[in-house]
Amino acid sequence: MNTIEQQLWDYIDGKLNESSKKAIEEKIESNAGIKAQYEELRELNSAFNALDLDEPSMSFTRNVMESIVLAPAPVAMKTKVDKKIIYGIGGFFVLSLLSLLGYVIYNSALSMPKFGFNTNLNFRVDQYITPTVLYSFLFFDLVVGLVFLDLFLRKKVAQK
Amino acid sequence: MEQNTTDLALIQKVLNGETDQYALLVKRHQRFVFTLALRFLKNREDAEEVAQDCFVKAYKALGTFKQTAKFSTWLYTITYTTAMTFLRKNRLDTTSIDDESAVLQLENQTSAFSANGYEKQDSHAFLNMAITQLLPDDAAIITLFYKGEQSLEEIGETLHMEPNTIKVKLHRARQRLKEKLQYLLKDEVKELL
Repeated sequence: MNTIEQQLWDYIDGKLNESSKKAIEEKIESNAGIKAQYEELRELNSAFNALDLDEPSMSFTRNVMESIVLAPAPVAMKTKVDKKIIYGIGGFFVLSLLSLLGYVIYNSALSMPKFGFNTNLNFRVDQYITPTVLYSFLFFDLVVGLVFLDLFLRKKVAQK
Repeated sequence: MEQNTTDLALIQKVLNGETDQYALLVKRHQRFVFTLALRFLKNREDAEEVAQDCFVKAYKALGTFKQTAKFSTWLYTITYTTAMTFLRKNRLDTTSIDDESAVLQLENQTSAFSANGYEKQDSHAFLNMAITQLLPDDAAIITLFYKGEQSLEEIGETLHMEPNTIKVKLHRARQRLKEKLQYLLKDEVKELL
């Protein structure tokens, strides 16, 4: 829907970009019919702006205040949320992740290679890259990532 | 903007325990909330009840209000939702004014109006009469746009519609209001405007 009337309303509301604004201004100047329509809409717009608001009863505010007098005073959400709960939830997740990490490492049957001077530099790396090692590595990354995210969020909150 | 800042300052005071400051917020917004409710309900008593209910709800939920938004937009959203709930509960007849019965009612009203001599009324009275004859949504959009200083996006937020839908509805509402005015004033519309 982009009739001339819609364009005129958009022009009156100041919703047109520069090029559209110039185009409609040219149309208004060059076409007497469009100019008359524009004038009519402009006058209507002024009339709509002058619409009255209805007045409620004199006791309106008093009635509202009487209705809320027994209601508990509103409190900002920030103060409603106890920090201990946040720390509790955070602690639970960190503990869960650490336990999971520990369990994975415990079950991965890792064994330290024997220490010796006869170091064989031709060892095969791919034999150490097992799924267990990969999972452990990913879990470790996840924990480190969460720690950094926590630090970042703390800094952001502190800046506010 | 200053009005908005003052609203936020008042809200902060209320949240800090100065609950009597809420009366200032009520006084500031009561006319608009009442008018908006009246646009939907078409009945002063119901509109007053709903408007009061809106302010009570807003007070109880003031802690959840995100202070980055305009308080008025939030309040008008509550008004819209409360008015709709009230309409659903009371099953009020809010059918289109284009319905046959509504047209008959409108014709009767106009003829009675003519008999009293509408030349004594000013253009404001005609406009206010014309807006009461619009569909609730149309009347609410016109009111929010012209009297609530709300952008299309904010009106969309209040009425749970897309800004583009609001733009189309606003255009139609203006056309309908113009038609109603012309109907009421007949040939005198241009003279009075």
